[in-house]
Amino acid sequence: MFSIHTRQVLARAALPILILLAVALVLLGLVRRPVVDGVRLRATDILAPAYQALVYPQARVQEWLVDLRGATDLAKENARLRDENRALRHWYDVAVALAAENARLKSSLHWIPESAPQYVTGRVTRDDGGPYSRAVLLDVGSGHQIHTGDVALDSAGLLGRVTEIGPHTVRVLLINDDASRIPVTLAASRGDAIMAGDDTDTPRLIYYPQDHHPIEGERVETRGQSAMPAGLPIGTVHYLAPNRPVVMPDADLRRLDIVRVFDYGDDGGQAPDAPGRVKVRRPAAEPTLPGGLPFPRLPGMPETLGKGGQ
Amino acid sequence: MVAENSTPHLHSAVEPRQTIRRRLDMFARAAMPSLFIILVAVLLSAPFGIPGQPELQFGIAMCTVWFWAFSRPKSMPAWAVFLCGLSVEIFSFGPPGAVLLSLLVIYGVAHHWRYGLSRLGFVSCWLIFSFFAALASFFQWALVCVHAFALLSPAPGLFQAALTIGIYPSLTALFVWGRRTFANPDQA
Repeated sequence: MFSIHTRQVLARAALPILILLAVALVLLGLVRRPVVDGVRLRATDILAPAYQALVYPQARVQEWLVDLRGATDLAKENARLRDENRALRHWYDVAVALAAENARLKSSLHWIPESAPQYVTGRVTRDDGGPYSRAVLLDVGSGHQIHTGDVALDSAGLLGRVTEIGPHTVRVLLINDDASRIPVTLAASRGDAIMAGDDTDTPRLIYYPQDHHPIEGERVETRGQSAMPAGLPIGTVHYLAPNRPVVMPDADLRRLDIVRVFDYGDDGGQAPDAPGRVKVRRPAAEPTLPGGLPFPRLPGMPETLGKGGQ
Repeated sequence: MVAENSTPHLHSAVEPRQTIRRRLDMFARAAMPSLFIILVAVLLSAPFGIPGQPELQFGIAMCTVWFWAFSRPKSMPAWAVFLCGLSVEIFSFGPPGAVLLSLLVIYGVAHHWRYGLSRLGFVSCWLIFSFFAALASFFQWALVCVHAFALLSPAPGLFQAALTIGIYPSLTALFVWGRRTFANPDQA
């Protein structure tokens, strides 16, 4: 079809053109990351059943191994379970008594009951952290009502927050990701802190009051800001080194299987404006042309600058 | 010539007839390296819980493109590298474009130096590959830092580079065998 010369020119030009396309993808990732992540979520949506089929043999083998290990020392396991059952019965009685007392106190205080949160349960489709981040994809089925910022928990404690939403799949950024910052309360010392992920298994505690250092072994709970309610269990404080407190998460972040995503409603904890404070009046939204500058107009900048220099 | 006539005993004057079945067979054998990268990308994105899965995804793609780009360029044209890179990009959640650009650059280097590289010994090839694998990991780390707007720990990048360099010999052994047998279009 083409002459030999044309074909040689095309062959030489192919690699530079493809490299330019790759650079364009890098730039697109920097400017519009959600577009790229949306395509990846859709690909995961399509492959979700295949992933389940792929890990099915591995899950079965692991189940057999657990059964086999249990069968080898049945007597010891029985004794341990009996002891644990006795302890659990005691805690059950304590819990029932406390629940009754709590209900009585609430009724005498005319406590306004909190609305029960909606939740969706999903199975982890895949761990998609990569070398630099910690995140998982959940298969939550179609027609879910999950929003960005919803809270993900496993049976033991907080796992993370939802960052991207696909038709069947949602991405949950785990609490040990480098980008995760969660306001927490320390249960015993009642101090506040920020739990910052650093890509290790134990997120660090930062910005705690210098006169109230976290105590080794005390419980760490959520503080209750934005879409996250107060009092969700996260883990316990542990000192890896002097002045370096970390949180040992209750949830097993390495082996995640079934995860629940709770919708606690957004900005439920929004504080009212302080009395006497002049309310800031936001300027009316200006009609912007598509393709305008992505940042707001700066004061003192000519009006035409943001609109393509008309 | 380097790799095109790797099996000279089969290049006789009497060529077998070009039936559709033979052409399909030749195409499948030539596409084997690209299919290998795509299959590995999909498999390693499944939640097996194997440590270092995303690093392996990157490492295997780099080794495969490097080896086939200089040892049999016909089995790894530039557009196939692009498609492989795109599939790795889709089945991973790293900074967009980093793997694709790294694969194209390493392909360009290997393809440009293919005559020199095939004259060099295995260890020299491995050393040159190691340099570019480390460079690609560094580029990925820099891009992640730009995305996060913070200076992140380079340890995961170093681990990725070490894993990529470490798996190269065993993958080369597999590819050298494959180049003679199942991925050899001349044997179709």
